[in-house]
Amino acid sequence: MEITRANQFSLQRLRTYPISPRLAIAAGLVALFVAVPLVYIFIRALGAEPEAWQRLLQTRIWKLLSNTLLLAAAVTSGALVTGISMAWLTERTDLPGRKIFRWMLAMPLAVPAYIGGIVHLALLRPRGGVIPQFLESLFGQPVPTPSPLGFWGAAFILTLFMYPYVYLLSGAAFRTLHASLEEAARVFGRTPMQTLFQVTLPALRPGLTAGALLVALDILAEYGTVALLRYETFSSAIFVQLSGRYDRSAASILSGILVALSILILWGELRLQGQARFTQMESNWRPAPLVALGKWRIPALLLVLGVVSASLLVPFTVLLIWSIQAFLDPQTMATLFRTGSQGFGSYVWNSLWSSGAAAVIAVMLSLPVALLAVRYPSRFSRFISRLCQVGYAIPGVVIALSLVLLVNRALPFLYATPFVVVIAYVLRHMPQAVRASESALNQLSPSLEEASRTLGRTSLQTLIQVTMPLILPGLLAGGSLVFLTSLKELPATLLLRPAGFDTLAVRVWVWAGEGFYFQAAPAALLLVLVSALPLSFLLRREQIFK
Amino acid sequence: MTTLEVRNLVKQFHGSERSAVNDISFELSEDEILALVGPSGCGKTTTLRLIAGLERPDSGLIRLNDRVVASDSIFVPPEQRGVGMVFQDHALFPHLTVFENVAFGLRGRKPDEIRTIVGEMLHLVGLLPLSKRYPHALSGGERQRVALARALAPRPILLLMDEPFSSLDADLRTEVREHVRGILKSMRATVVFVTHDQDEALFMGDRLAVLNKGELEQIGTPEEIFHESNTRFVAKFMGDSDFLRGRVTPNGIQTEIGLLNQLVDLPAGTSVEIALRADDIDFEIDGSGNSLIVARFFRGAFNLYRLRLNSGQILHAFTDHTKILPVGARVQARVSAEHPLTVFS
Repeated sequence: MEITRANQFSLQRLRTYPISPRLAIAAGLVALFVAVPLVYIFIRALGAEPEAWQRLLQTRIWKLLSNTLLLAAAVTSGALVTGISMAWLTERTDLPGRKIFRWMLAMPLAVPAYIGGIVHLALLRPRGGVIPQFLESLFGQPVPTPSPLGFWGAAFILTLFMYPYVYLLSGAAFRTLHASLEEAARVFGRTPMQTLFQVTLPALRPGLTAGALLVALDILAEYGTVALLRYETFSSAIFVQLSGRYDRSAASILSGILVALSILILWGELRLQGQARFTQMESNWRPAPLVALGKWRIPALLLVLGVVSASLLVPFTVLLIWSIQAFLDPQTMATLFRTGSQGFGSYVWNSLWSSGAAAVIAVMLSLPVALLAVRYPSRFSRFISRLCQVGYAIPGVVIALSLVLLVNRALPFLYATPFVVVIAYVLRHMPQAVRASESALNQLSPSLEEASRTLGRTSLQTLIQVTMPLILPGLLAGGSLVFLTSLKELPATLLLRPAGFDTLAVRVWVWAGEGFYFQAAPAALLLVLVSALPLSFLLRREQIFK
Repeated sequence: MTTLEVRNLVKQFHGSERSAVNDISFELSEDEILALVGPSGCGKTTTLRLIAGLERPDSGLIRLNDRVVASDSIFVPPEQRGVGMVFQDHALFPHLTVFENVAFGLRGRKPDEIRTIVGEMLHLVGLLPLSKRYPHALSGGERQRVALARALAPRPILLLMDEPFSSLDADLRTEVREHVRGILKSMRATVVFVTHDQDEALFMGDRLAVLNKGELEQIGTPEEIFHESNTRFVAKFMGDSDFLRGRVTPNGIQTEIGLLNQLVDLPAGTSVEIALRADDIDFEIDGSGNSLIVARFFRGAFNLYRLRLNSGQILHAFTDHTKILPVGARVQARVSAEHPLTVFS
């Protein structure tokens, strides 16, 4: 219901044009492909031996649950506060340099959180970190510094790399919200601050809450950062069960609980999605007047600079310095550029082709689903569309577990091939493609397709000659998102890759884990730069960067 | 020759309680323009979309040039019907130039032929110099004409137009509709034209079909519809009529503002209602008159007065623009029409 409420064109008239059986079958098959790994996890979890359940319930589950929820709550609130305040400062005040900050605040999306974590850990580690060492040499004795390890460290690092989601949402909202709404509040006697808290933010609440729930889902799925900072959550516990102890029934039980939790959050997010309609740009839109910061200009500037430094400038600079050091060291260079399948080139190539293939497949699969959901709204099509967004709620480790079990049993010839990795990317990131395709189709008036029909084209010809060319930018955006997130995907790649299939993400993780920071840096830097390309394409499409 | 025949057409949308189109039948001859007019939600656009094949009827029959395109057992998809359509939002393909838009419906013909036809069509609508432009670089009126040229280029059996002028500014609208009617007539096109605007319907249609709540209230020439309304709805919708109660007598109809000298075929004593338009009423200042001026609306060329009779009945009357009377003045109103008035029993 909520999804179609946002769908302005199909609301005009509930179309009863005969639904194409071909389309319904295609969308149904896509949904089935997505549903099987999900259902399978629940089957395995419920089918696990009762002793395993009992053992876990008595020992691990409660601790993991509180750890996971605590981290999700902390990072979500942190990201909300940071994201909204950064968006407000850059969109609604006379902050100096706000045009540049708008970009810099969004760019951390290109930095995987675990890479940021690696840099901050190297800088701040209690013993041996760059900063503690420097302070010790300066003062001649150890100086206590905040540790990036544990709960607070994980919450801090993850907030730094998750806030851009909220920032982009709220920035777009601040930009597009009708100025007259705020002007009305001012006329009724509210100060700018009262207006912000009593009118603007409440008006944006559904969209921002939906964004916050997506952040929470990401935290439930996060593996790299929490493992690095030694804070145990469901995801990292499942990873250990799978890779170290190889206890599949314990992993299944933990996965079942984690996915149930995620689906609950996703359900809330899907319900809110339809209400988030603030991005409607009206023709008589005009920008809201800027708030003069006055004596708060300098503190505000320092605050924004602090966020940008910690999330973008510092990681980038450190990676750059390490990379230069790597290039200056012949031994590191030799390790990096070994020939054959072990060389740097092959990591890059593996990263690009697996993420690229995932992007293409995800967009193609999303098309029938989006067409069905947007052009033939019904209970059935809504169900299919939501089912295809369930990937948001299946963390990488869980997809890996499910695919290991399923492929072993049903498709053994695929086992230990890179294709399983690609399938995992598609399953996990297809929701982004589905949403992008649906929103592109929603913006396309059905009368264009109808005009093509009355001018003698069949429905298939219309799809190819009219619909596809017109929604292509939207499809590219969806593909870029899938590509970007697949490039960063760590746990599924680590668990599913065949021996010798190394991607940039995997290499960064393995080398950094062994302490070879200089060696890891060029790969990390390249990963960030490759991610920045599709990201800047995506950002250019957003209102706030126009 | 009959181009379009619509018989007992019914369409109900899922989740709606009443039929959007309820048992509508009409016929349209070659070269004729039929205006479907009615308030929003009356089913006029649905009727149009049923004819185009964009909706499937629940029951009923649609025949185009003696070929059944929709019935209980047959449903011909829109691309095989040979109808042209002009959409409310014009629906020009934004990724194609003006030339390519007009050529879209001509696929399968020789390139020379396509060039000739598109050239002719663009010349007809006066847009030949803009053929390389994209739709976003056109004005509203130009887009409107490209949409018309595109729909007419394949020489459709029937042209359907869905509120084609509603997206244009008011001052442009009268100019464009005159131009468009000229083009349609010069092409001898058979047209079904949908509008909610009575003036536009009266102007565009050779005949009018007035729809209300999914049902066809009346079909006829503009003059018939305006002067000989069959139903109260048509009288009200097409001409802002007021309805004055009266009683039939052997000499005419006795009303509150005097005897109307019009004989009707009803037994004496029957109570009736007379549809009166503002130009059917005249009044003059009279301290002991039968009504009171409650409001005056200055309309430029004339004044529209709202009168309240002693019974509370409201009537409207025009006077010329120089005759200005104060609100609150008592006046004597009378029926001044010299043509027969429509009477409903």
